[in-house]
Amino acid sequence: MHIDRLKLTNYRNYEALELNFSPTMNVLIGENAQGKTNVMEAIYVLAMAKSHRTSNDRELIRWEQECGKIEGDVQRKFGYMPIELTISKKGKKAKVNHLEQNRLSMYVGQMNVVMFAPEDLNIVKGSPQLRRRFLDMEIGQISRVYLHDLVNFQKILKQRNALLKANRGKLDLQDVMFDIYTEQYIQVAVQIILKRFYFMELLQKWANPIHQGISRGLETLEVSYGTLKDLHSGQTAEEMETIFADQLKSVRRRELERGLTLVGPHRDDLQFFVNGYDIQTYGSQGQQRTTALSLKLAEIELVKQEVGETPILLLDDVLSELDDYRQSHLLSTMQGQVQTFVTTTNIAGIDHNTIQEAAIFEVHDGSVLPRD
Amino acid sequence: MHYPEPISKLMDSFMKLPGIGPKTAGRLAFFVLSMKEDTVLDFAKALVDAKRNLQFCSVCGHITDIDPCYICQDQSRDRTTICVVQDPKDVIAMEKMRDYRGLYHVLQGAISPMDGIGPEDINVPSLLTRLQEDEVEELILATNPTIEGEATAMYISRLVRPSGITTTRIAHGLPVGGDLEYADEVTLSRALEGRREL
Repeated sequence: MHIDRLKLTNYRNYEALELNFSPTMNVLIGENAQGKTNVMEAIYVLAMAKSHRTSNDRELIRWEQECGKIEGDVQRKFGYMPIELTISKKGKKAKVNHLEQNRLSMYVGQMNVVMFAPEDLNIVKGSPQLRRRFLDMEIGQISRVYLHDLVNFQKILKQRNALLKANRGKLDLQDVMFDIYTEQYIQVAVQIILKRFYFMELLQKWANPIHQGISRGLETLEVSYGTLKDLHSGQTAEEMETIFADQLKSVRRRELERGLTLVGPHRDDLQFFVNGYDIQTYGSQGQQRTTALSLKLAEIELVKQEVGETPILLLDDVLSELDDYRQSHLLSTMQGQVQTFVTTTNIAGIDHNTIQEAAIFEVHDGSVLPRD
Repeated sequence: MHYPEPISKLMDSFMKLPGIGPKTAGRLAFFVLSMKEDTVLDFAKALVDAKRNLQFCSVCGHITDIDPCYICQDQSRDRTTICVVQDPKDVIAMEKMRDYRGLYHVLQGAISPMDGIGPEDINVPSLLTRLQEDEVEELILATNPTIEGEATAMYISRLVRPSGITTTRIAHGLPVGGDLEYADEVTLSRALEGRREL
């Protein structure tokens, strides 16, 4: 799929902007703080109905305006479709094919994007929380049931923690309510773990060949999903629930001492091995970046498989973070297959066919002009 | 904006109701000025009466003007079945159905440790006394299909289990008369989990 036209009204620093894009490569050039990322963000928001940079929608509306609007024409396999998202102080409204959608959740997914921004480079070396967020965002894009389970999980975890806190120190606690929440907790946690296993296997399948390509066949990548000990993919939900219950029993005393749930998917993590070495600890900066890139590119393949169409790729300010070989490998992999948006401060350093054929836009002080 | 004090006081009162903001409150307040004095007095009386004369039924916890309530007093009802709901509004919804002939028990909420609401804070103890005294054979748990509603239903069923009374849980899934294609994924996946053999 690709986006042909983007129209912004009172969005961030743009009062009115209309752009026509190339279905292959689009490059936005400009100095810092001119509005490049705002265009990328607008495409992202149009797809996901939320920003990757902020959770406060009001920031997206132009200064002192009541509401902002993003419109786009999306070309999909079965035809062309205009979509529209209005952001006001009261909330968001979405239209597909000029028809207003009752629920935002039915709107998300009309256009699929994969965004690669500088903060994604931290997936590998950052905190486990970042990696769990990565997992949740990616699986959520493909499975709505997962999102629902995740919300339920958070609620049950809060309830269970509240009970633990209220009974803190009562090490011989016998409470029916606590048993019930423990049971519910195990059930929904196992559903989340099962989906994460499934997703990680797919991701691993796509990420390794991509990583080999980027590293000229010198490196193999293995992604491993770490959850409760003794849980493996291939186990049934019932088997997992039994193992989970046993582990909760064994930490029961400690949970009651500390007033906190100590075992569960809220403590999951991902590990990355390049040629067998854990690169969180032993990898170079470059290897960590390449790994992050491989994961994002694998996501494209994943969306393609699950949704049936290639998503749109947004590369915000990351080309400059990669060496020449990796840059050109990345661009040639995307060539002609995926509609790609790139932002950069300087095009001179990027010498590649795709860039020469690309539609180039110059971003300067809130204006975006196509270069002929 | 400057309103005379009686008007702004009236608007403040309207704004205490759910779903009413300053604009609606203003419209309502000015409409009251244009009403006849008798109508306004009746209105005020209705408000006070509703508050003064309504109480919770000492048996089932439903709102009522007589104690016990009209459902608990109705001798033609099936006294062997009790339907447990969270809210008086749920009783009204069930009654609209006109298919259920048993009695009710209104919990006035659900158990939620996070908000400090335990079993003793809602009408669970009175339910247990009722089960000991009356000739109840089936308990239908019709709490909401939320985390708290589900946990409350499970809690009650565990307490009741030793007594030999049948406990059942209402089903959840697809709405009747709806198209499969319009159901959201979550409802659909729950409906699939709850499938039954024909």
